[in-house]
Amino acid sequence: MRYEMKMPDLATTESEIRIVRWIIGTGQKIARGQPLLEVETDKATMEVESPVAGILAEVRSEAGDAVSVGQLIAVLEVEQTASAALSGGPAAGPQAEKPAVPPKAVERPVSAAAAAPRGMFARNRAAAVAASAPAPAEGIPLTIAQRVAARRLQESKQTIPHFYLQTSFSAVAMIARRRAAEPVKLAWDAFFVLAVARAIAAFERFRCRFDGERLAPAESDAIGVAVDHQNELFVIPIAAPATKTVEQISAEIRQGAEQLRSGDPQARQIRPTLLTVTNLGVANIEGFIPIINPPEAAVLGVGRVRPAAVAREDGRIEVEQRGTLTLSVDHRIASGRYAAAFLGAIVKELESI
Amino acid sequence: MELVAYQPDFLLGLYERMVRIREFEDGIKFLFLEGIMPGTIHQCQGQEATAVGVCAALGSDDFITSTFRGHGHALAKGLSVQELLDELFGAATGCCKGKGGSMHVGNMAKGMVPGIAIVAGGIPVAAGMAMAFKMQHSGRVVACFFGDGAVAEGAFHEGVNMAAIWNLPVLFVCENNLYGASTHVSKVMRDTNIARRVAGYGIRGEQADGNDVLAVYEAARAAVEECRAGRGPAFLELLTYRRTGHSRRDPCHYQPQEERAAWAAKDPIDRFAEILKSQAIADDAALEAIKDRVLRQFNAAVENAKRAPLPTLEDLTTEVFA
Repeated sequence: MRYEMKMPDLATTESEIRIVRWIIGTGQKIARGQPLLEVETDKATMEVESPVAGILAEVRSEAGDAVSVGQLIAVLEVEQTASAALSGGPAAGPQAEKPAVPPKAVERPVSAAAAAPRGMFARNRAAAVAASAPAPAEGIPLTIAQRVAARRLQESKQTIPHFYLQTSFSAVAMIARRRAAEPVKLAWDAFFVLAVARAIAAFERFRCRFDGERLAPAESDAIGVAVDHQNELFVIPIAAPATKTVEQISAEIRQGAEQLRSGDPQARQIRPTLLTVTNLGVANIEGFIPIINPPEAAVLGVGRVRPAAVAREDGRIEVEQRGTLTLSVDHRIASGRYAAAFLGAIVKELESI
Repeated sequence: MELVAYQPDFLLGLYERMVRIREFEDGIKFLFLEGIMPGTIHQCQGQEATAVGVCAALGSDDFITSTFRGHGHALAKGLSVQELLDELFGAATGCCKGKGGSMHVGNMAKGMVPGIAIVAGGIPVAAGMAMAFKMQHSGRVVACFFGDGAVAEGAFHEGVNMAAIWNLPVLFVCENNLYGASTHVSKVMRDTNIARRVAGYGIRGEQADGNDVLAVYEAARAAVEECRAGRGPAFLELLTYRRTGHSRRDPCHYQPQEERAAWAAKDPIDRFAEILKSQAIADDAALEAIKDRVLRQFNAAVENAKRAPLPTLEDLTTEVFA
């Protein structure tokens, strides 16, 4: 018989639920209790287990779709009813098979009201979600990841007293190092990650987060690389970067970006980092002022590398490949001079990389 | 382990109650996933021995207080699968007439105060009940279940202190499953030995293996005797582990794989089954028969619960105080 799988009531708030991926493909067998799909709410990404054993016959909502609680998401072909499957034998009580409902002709059902689940609390929530979901004509709906990023960035800008230090650096050594690695194309960000990782070793305060009465040690030693994937913001963590080569770091960054492109749910999660590097140089921006990725102590904004005229001490004017850096700093954690020394150390590392 | 001191029926009864709790929790998980049972649920798979061991040391007219994770406590105290399931379905035939739901199961006639979902909320209530029992010279005892997270609440201090200064017959049972929701005990306590801290209230705290049903039973039995003899209160910290998320909406990513595996190897039901077999109290077939019986009872109860009547509009103002 056919079993209609409806989205369980997994959202902690009135958040919509987004399907991340189907773990089982159509036509494949699944056991009762085996993970069937992965979903994302505003709180967590989680696996949803199949309530029945059978074969996944139809998928009614694709990866990326937002669904409401109680919405029909899949049809499974099962040999027994769910409750009979439990005992491994005939149900002890009177026959309680739900009538098999023929599949609807429409590909994408379902108004929230039509999909109303039986549970009374769930029903109320489904109605509330339906009422709050904006119609596409009235604006651009935000994805869950975008809402999470929006909340975190607003909190950062409102609660962290930022100050900003700007400087420039010579990219000569970096360019030479990059050329030497050819034909491998090293990611520019790999150099900044490595420079920050080496510099931060001598700046204990930047390895802390503000915790009211004290500076608490940060949870992670990873340097993050901010990436924009289809207008969703993510940070790729590079763990223990000071122990790695620029080649290794570059490969990890490219791998992290690929995971995001493929929709890997692990990559979409917020993972702790010590300090984030964000780069708009590739977008031809000379310099910009980034917002701290909480609870980090600072964020490094990287502008584009381009030929610039440099006045030397002896009065000569030379043309050199140079880039700009902006360090946004949590003033509760570091003073201007302390942060300036840190930024200076980053420049020194970059210029001798 | 030497089991000659116990009647086989008593031991098999402990086993059956633990299996009943496990199968109940596993079964309602699927009812939740199917969407035919409303609300979220807080489950206790892996913690069966704490409820069963403590309640086995209590008489039928003794009381327990419970938490939002109370299904195991209820089944251990003698509530029926049917009245519990009906309650979870919001039916008028539920143990709280459908007005409590999963987080508030209980039955005063069977010695269980409906679950108090506020963390540590049951502790002062238990102290108050124990005071009544003492003033009535009834000889009754209250066992008060709470988790490691409750220890950080003010109500813990107030309830335990009050019970201590007035020698109340209450057995405080801290089910330390290492996590208050998603927060590991080591993040909120410098000294994670909870039993030790009640020395500050002038009472003795004892730790026991919460995944060993006989160890729990023996510790609880001695503590209940102390309480009945007027030397209460008593405090037990039972070391155990929750196998599921805090609620069904919690994917539980914070429990490390190695930790989960280590505790899975200490499963209270598997361990007790091994003991029963090694002492020739039961063989595999007998244990399988128990599980089968429990499953059939559960399945029959599910079918009844699906058809159980919901409360009516007239029921809105009954059994409520305000």
